[in-house]
Amino acid sequence: MEERPQHCLSRLPDNSALKQQELPAHRLYFTARRVLFVFFTTGIFCLCMGIILILSARSTQEIEINYTRICANCAKLRENASNFDKECTCSIPFYLSGKMMGNVYMYYKLYGFYQNLYRYVRSRSNRQLVGKDIKAVEDCAPFKMSDNKTPIVPCGAIANSMFNDTIILLHNINSSVQIKVPMLKSGLTWWTDKYVKFQNPSSKNLADEFRGTTKPPNWPKPIYDLDKKDPRNNGFLNDDFIVWMRAAAFPTFKKLYGRLNRTHHFTEGLPAGNYSFNITYNFPVTRFHGEKSVVLSTLTWCGGNSLFLGLAYTVTGAITWLASFAMMAIHIMLKNKKMSFFHQ
Amino acid sequence: MSNALPQTNMMLFLFQDNRIHTSKYSILTFLPINLFEQFQRVANAYFLCLLILQLIPEISSLTWFTTIVPLVLVITMTAVKDATDDYFRHKSDNQVNNRQSEVLIDSKLQNEKWMNVKVGDIIKLENNQFVAADLLLLSSSEPHGLCYVETAELDGETNLKVRHALSVTSELGADINRLARFDGIVVCEVPNNKLDKFMGILSWKDSKHSLNNEKIILRGCILRNTSWCFGMVIFAGPDTKLMQNSGKTKFKRTSIDRLMNTLVLWIFGFLICLGIILAIGNSIWESQIGDQFRTFLFWNEGEKSSVFSGFLTFWSYIIILNTVVPISLYVSVEVIRLGHSYFINWDRKMYYSRKATPAEARTTTLSEELGQIEYIFSDKTGTLTQNIMTFRRCSINGRIYGEVPDDLDQKTEITQKKEPVDFSVKSQVDREFQFFDHNLMESIKMGDPKVHEFLRVLALCHTVMSEENSAGELIYQVQSPDEGALVTAARNFGFIFKSRTPETITIEELGTLVTYQLLAFLDFNNTRKRMSVIVRNPEGQIKLYSKGADTILFEKLHPSNEVLLSLTSDHLSEFAGEGLRTLAIAYRDLDDKYFKEWHKMVEDANAATEERDERIAGLYEEIERDLMLLGATAVEDKLQEGVMETVASLSLANIKIWVLTGDKQETAINIGYACNMLTDDMNDVFVIAGNNAVEVREELRKAKENLSGQNRNVSNGHVVCEKKQQLELDSIVEETVTGDYALIINGHSLAHALESDVKNDLLELACMCKTVVCCRVTPLQKAQVVELVKKYRNAVTLAIGDGANDVSMIKSAHIGVGISGQEGLQAVLASDYSFAQFRYLQRLLLVHGRWSYFRMCKFLCYFFYKNFAFTLVHFWFGFFCGFSAQTVYDQWFITLFNIVYTSLPVLAMGIFDQDVSDQNSMDCPQLYEPGQLNLLFNKRKFFICVLHGIYTSIALFFIPYGAFYNVAGEDGQHIADYQSFAVTMATSLVIVVSVQIRRWQKAQKKARPPSSQRPRTRRSSSRRSGYAFAHQEGYGELITSGKNMRTKNPPPTSGLEKTHYNSTSWIENLCKKTTETVSSFSQDKTVKL
Repeated sequence: MEERPQHCLSRLPDNSALKQQELPAHRLYFTARRVLFVFFTTGIFCLCMGIILILSARSTQEIEINYTRICANCAKLRENASNFDKECTCSIPFYLSGKMMGNVYMYYKLYGFYQNLYRYVRSRSNRQLVGKDIKAVEDCAPFKMSDNKTPIVPCGAIANSMFNDTIILLHNINSSVQIKVPMLKSGLTWWTDKYVKFQNPSSKNLADEFRGTTKPPNWPKPIYDLDKKDPRNNGFLNDDFIVWMRAAAFPTFKKLYGRLNRTHHFTEGLPAGNYSFNITYNFPVTRFHGEKSVVLSTLTWCGGNSLFLGLAYTVTGAITWLASFAMMAIHIMLKNKKMSFFHQ
Repeated sequence: MSNALPQTNMMLFLFQDNRIHTSKYSILTFLPINLFEQFQRVANAYFLCLLILQLIPEISSLTWFTTIVPLVLVITMTAVKDATDDYFRHKSDNQVNNRQSEVLIDSKLQNEKWMNVKVGDIIKLENNQFVAADLLLLSSSEPHGLCYVETAELDGETNLKVRHALSVTSELGADINRLARFDGIVVCEVPNNKLDKFMGILSWKDSKHSLNNEKIILRGCILRNTSWCFGMVIFAGPDTKLMQNSGKTKFKRTSIDRLMNTLVLWIFGFLICLGIILAIGNSIWESQIGDQFRTFLFWNEGEKSSVFSGFLTFWSYIIILNTVVPISLYVSVEVIRLGHSYFINWDRKMYYSRKATPAEARTTTLSEELGQIEYIFSDKTGTLTQNIMTFRRCSINGRIYGEVPDDLDQKTEITQKKEPVDFSVKSQVDREFQFFDHNLMESIKMGDPKVHEFLRVLALCHTVMSEENSAGELIYQVQSPDEGALVTAARNFGFIFKSRTPETITIEELGTLVTYQLLAFLDFNNTRKRMSVIVRNPEGQIKLYSKGADTILFEKLHPSNEVLLSLTSDHLSEFAGEGLRTLAIAYRDLDDKYFKEWHKMVEDANAATEERDERIAGLYEEIERDLMLLGATAVEDKLQEGVMETVASLSLANIKIWVLTGDKQETAINIGYACNMLTDDMNDVFVIAGNNAVEVREELRKAKENLSGQNRNVSNGHVVCEKKQQLELDSIVEETVTGDYALIINGHSLAHALESDVKNDLLELACMCKTVVCCRVTPLQKAQVVELVKKYRNAVTLAIGDGANDVSMIKSAHIGVGISGQEGLQAVLASDYSFAQFRYLQRLLLVHGRWSYFRMCKFLCYFFYKNFAFTLVHFWFGFFCGFSAQTVYDQWFITLFNIVYTSLPVLAMGIFDQDVSDQNSMDCPQLYEPGQLNLLFNKRKFFICVLHGIYTSIALFFIPYGAFYNVAGEDGQHIADYQSFAVTMATSLVIVVSVQIRRWQKAQKKARPPSSQRPRTRRSSSRRSGYAFAHQEGYGELITSGKNMRTKNPPPTSGLEKTHYNSTSWIENLCKKTTETVSSFSQDKTVKL
């Protein structure tokens, strides 16, 4: 046994921890005490989180006004595609009972609009949107080219179906004086969207740059003409456009339309009183049984007034506590039994 | 060469050439056959279909590279592995096919490759050469055309066997010209796998000679003790009995593989259900809502109806949801198994330093099945035993010598020190021999006459032949290793057997040469179970020396031996209790007159034509009586190291061990006792040895009745619950047997028992027994037994063996283990795992196997869970995206989820996880049982995993859904967009499933088993082990005839007439005893030469 030829020694496997399966390992040992401790702390954490979330969600204010039916005549008009050039406005008065403090955000909310359909989601051209090659329309089926074979800019079903109602909020200080609530149309987008994913072609004159292309069939104006007031808010960098292009995950969604510009009368937020929305009704929803509404909302650190997360945390915390109490009871019972067993 | 025969007859049969193929593919056929085989795996075929689906743009919801890359990877990997395996088979085939042999071509001996040898060729073989094909022995260097072959490769028996040529052909000698003119015609049976039978007729020179097995040398034998011989090829290549006995190479798959195939089918069904639900949803949605949504999203061309849209959606969803069984599952499983096989290769505890052989996992795809073994089929010689016989102890005149000092034992006082007796003072000792008791040496020196007589018997009464090698050392040629051990023992104690002639035996007694006249040789046979010699010593006394099985010999003793008998009997029991093979030794003084009378009668009987055998047997009985007992010997058939402990430990793990051996019943039983597989505590040991179907059936029936009868008694007395019963609800009636039973069945009976109608009886009986020993079985029968258990018991089997005779068994068992480090490599080449010692089986199964199974099950559970959680989210999302086959996650996330995001933790778990340490699993073999009962991964577990996965997917989808439903970022931006949602889901999925890597089973930290369960190294036994004469019956006659003596020992002229009396008919006797009736053979195949 001792006299091993040299060459045979090499056949002896290495004595390393890996090869001999002796790697250091950590094994969790669950004692009742530890498990109960973990359960109780988790429960406390969840309950606290839940309560905090619920409280902060309730501190927000939100007004939602569904104008699908209120503006029924406009809706009817829009159902017929041939009336696209006819303007239809609609005014919706409402009363704000308490003032909305702090930053107020205005959203439009669509019901039953499927921005997450497989073909819809992919019907966009990211190459076009970064401004590199505005004629890249390969992925945009079924809105690639217009009938005369010029590429559509911006192409694709998402862009084509862009929400194009204009919503103006008016504050009725008294029965005769109406002032327009100033709304900011900037800062509505994600930073990455505005500065990375969407870029205009480099040239100064957008109209030149987009020559040889055509607007999407549903659009009244071309892309370089979206915002008449602010020339920088045009082309692919238009905030409303960027917001729209970020497709929603569910058929019911709200998208940011504007932020309250806290100046003059509105430094503290929206004071209570009579308001009205003046809506230029362009976007047809009744055709697919959809609805749309406009939302005014304040926010806290945790976002909107969704109670769901808070409730979920609370419920989880409560269940965890119940479970840990049950386990403690069982543990104590077994312990007593064992003790009595040993005493016998 | 053809021996001048009409060409037309040659064409009657297409003879196989001598080339053998064990390989599966050639270069041309590799690709199609291998691909065909690979796509027979359900999974591969499934992925191929998916790939085709993904290539259709209308329904491709995932890009095609998500499937093709892994698929190509997997198929290439497997193909490369198959190709290398086959390359090595080609290499070994080539090596065998290119072996040289001397063939008589054009009246000249020429070297020819084995593969070019044809039927009808005449081949010259030399000593220690492998036989190239099945040959008809024509002539040899030995007198009377005898030759010796070793058949270890064929049947595992290592003792030499005698073959002898027909006398007409043996006259040809080495005369090349006459041999070249040989034009005999052989008519014989069709190629078959019966190793011990051959029937044929040689027509030559207008006379016909019947041929039997004794005239045939089979391929795979090795020529021994014969300087040359000539043979004519009868069967070549695949027709040879060796090749006929090798089972087919089968593609082995583990039961988990099969289960996975089933599960994949189920999952596929499940997918189709989901697909249908979603497709119907899509149709409804399209007709209700989607129709109006066309302003924003036109129909594609040719996609104008909601039903058709639903149809396309169905396929799209099939593609999306296919990640339930991702191809990476298969890749990971292979990787894990590969890791496990490397651990086996790397294990220092399975490295045998004496032969520098590490354990080797030759197949990397079976590792977890090692944790599920229920039956082990073991070869005996070379596997359980070392095939070394050593003289361990003896009892002479009522005194035991050679008490082995044992550290655990109390009996150490007998030996002074633990050093072996020093034999070096004597010349001509066998240096390998060790004996630990100095008392015997002292007794010899004191001149104890009984001790001297005892050793004299050992030196005189045997069939050993002596020979001096070139260095002048004495070499014994032994037919039976037992006898070799005894003669060697006598040699070392000073009674050296020097040489023999037909009528003398010369031994050196303590330094003085003494020549005994051999007067008669009363040979061994199965009924006598003893052998005797009658010698006249130089003083002129006639003595009969006898050795034999104690049970037989004790009946022949003189009444005066009663005291000694009971004492010796006790000693024998003690020996037997240690698993030693015992023999009783006795002598008798004969007076001259009596012997002469007896001798006369023997001569008469020999001359008689009728009832010759019976008369001789009677005469032998007559003289072998009133024997004086001398003592008993105990020879150890040395077990491999640690066999007993391994067997004990494996049976604690509820693994049943069956011994399948080509060896004799007695030997096999003996080994059974030696390694504690058979014990005296057993309620009954059934021996099935019937020679025809009716007898076998009767014996089986009786055994079963006996068993059920006894069993009823037991269970009436007290309720005994077997553990297995508790664990396995559907346990079959036969599992309820209580008590230990053993079944011993020999090859002939087995052949009948394997016939279809008795098969079930056999199996039932065998499975009720704790131990099963099959002896005298052919290689193919070994495989048949394995197949039987595999097929009807549905159990995982392991076969372990070391020789070519085990190859078919190794191939047909679920797992084949070869003992490596031996000369022959066939077993290792055919095996899935190989190592050098039987005892490593314990570690292979209880540690590596158990871990592999445990890890694999945990891995699979987790993997299915993970992928259900991952994939079903798409299903829930379908209800919110108009069933449009939109995925929840990004494409890249789907592609990389299993490869990158969640692969490493689960792989690490699958490769490294240990629930209990190796020491604990060795100490507590019971931990092995979950594997056998398939507890860790089965359909039920699978369902639990799936339900868990579904639950996770629901939580994973609906909680973010709720959270995102009406939410905005803290700066007012809308964050409920698809992208954010997808990323949130993906992140939480990765976190959730990664945290879910937890123990699916609680670590089993069981205490060490109580010491009573530890394997006992000693046991008490009253069982007498019978002597197993391994030499061929009739060999004694051969010796006394002098026919096999070399010419350098010319028979003295004085003994001519005596040589005559005994030898006239020896060769006929030999034939008669072994020849089957030639009348009924089939003439299907005619060899024309």
